[in-house]
Amino acid sequence: MKINKLMLILFVAFIACNNEDHKFPMDKRFWSTDDYRDAVTELRFGYNEDEELPNFNNPETKAIVEKLTDTENFNVVLQDNELGVKHKNEVAQSFFTVWKDMTDIYDILDKKDKYTYELEYLETYKFGLELQLSYFKLGNEEILKSVDDPDSESTKRVLDSNISTLISNYTYYLDLVNSENAFSENGKKVYAESISEYFSKLINNHPNSDYSELKSKSVLLISKSNSAIIKNSLEEINNLIDSKKIKSIDKTEE
Amino acid sequence: MSNEKIVLIALSILYIPLFLLEFFYYIKLLKRPKLNFKVTFKYIIASFIVIIIGILTLSHTNYLNYEKPIPYKDYNNIDFKKFKGIELFQKELFGSKYFAYVVTSIEVEYEKDSVSIISYFHPSSSFVYNKESRFKDLLKHELYHFKITELFARKAKEKISTFEKISKKEINIIVEEIELEERKFQIKYDYDTHHSFIYNKQIEYQKTIDSSLLTLNNFKNPKIKVYEN
Repeated sequence: MKINKLMLILFVAFIACNNEDHKFPMDKRFWSTDDYRDAVTELRFGYNEDEELPNFNNPETKAIVEKLTDTENFNVVLQDNELGVKHKNEVAQSFFTVWKDMTDIYDILDKKDKYTYELEYLETYKFGLELQLSYFKLGNEEILKSVDDPDSESTKRVLDSNISTLISNYTYYLDLVNSENAFSENGKKVYAESISEYFSKLINNHPNSDYSELKSKSVLLISKSNSAIIKNSLEEINNLIDSKKIKSIDKTEE
Repeated sequence: MSNEKIVLIALSILYIPLFLLEFFYYIKLLKRPKLNFKVTFKYIIASFIVIIIGILTLSHTNYLNYEKPIPYKDYNNIDFKKFKGIELFQKELFGSKYFAYVVTSIEVEYEKDSVSIISYFHPSSSFVYNKESRFKDLLKHELYHFKITELFARKAKEKISTFEKISKKEINIIVEEIELEERKFQIKYDYDTHHSFIYNKQIEYQKTIDSSLLTLNNFKNPKIKVYEN
């Protein structure tokens, strides 16, 4: 009888220890693309509609979203000079594929058409912006390595086309200005800061690229936006584009 | 022999006699004895403890496929086939099932006018998930653990050689201190390289370790002369 009771207690204890619904590899220092695939699937389909997703305000789940949006997870590979370009490019491509699904996780509006998880949503976007800078750079490096004549016109066209795709991808981020009312004031601030930070990186990394579409979109959004802080950021990137143009004209004249 | 086979054999040794016993009871070749529950329970607990000790021992050192420790001078003969340890509990390391670990030690052997300080690789305690693994980087990472052990063995010899006269006790203290430093360095190596995942760090460590070994090349020979106090 005593033994039966003991068995029952052990069984209950076993069940009690297994009530964790969502599993993320939190003990891992870096998440691989496999980990990302599992985590993204869990976050997109493993939560009930009324269940709270991991977020920065919840001390218990904060670490999950921090890990998910930690750029070190890909930078540890992509910034490693000892690794081959082809390998890094494959890793970057896998991350890019996963990231496209990541942006859906926190794209949730409440009854007032406000983002439920605005900071988390922006962080997942920022993760992708940072990733793409490396991904497209590596893609072009691999092309340069594989072609017979890196200076040929056809090679240059392919490289320019890749950078144009990168700029287009970045331009999509500005679409969020159209839904700026879905952000709180703090959300707008974070969004504006991310525009300044990542678009500056983009323009400085590729100063001679064609930003005409980006600029015309930005001009339209400046007139549309009601947020001074977002307008400032957009003007900042327009000025940066112009300054690069002036420099390239100066160089041509010399 | 693969881990799965070893586990299968161990379980067979345990279960086949039980099945046979039950079979003999069934065909009435044997008569089922009347059992006292308390006594049976004690036997079960005792058997359980014996089995656990057996499993833990095998997990520590694979005596079913034992190979004696390999000294550093035979470093170049070590490949994954020498990793003969079995891992019965851990199936992943930091989420990766492609993992290995190496067990090394610094041994001290006293002779009349000399002392030998030798670093050893323990094949039957070192584990790799697959002996046919093509991941050379993983092997390299593990082998550098052995190089670290050798580096600290040389450091111990360097330190001992500074003494004009030294006792066994003093030698033991020096080796213990060096072993402590070595353990710290091994942990740092694993952390900094994240078990070879951070490849540029891995290369950085390899260069540092190789150059340090070269600096202490005078202490390559395990034996050093000592004059006892």
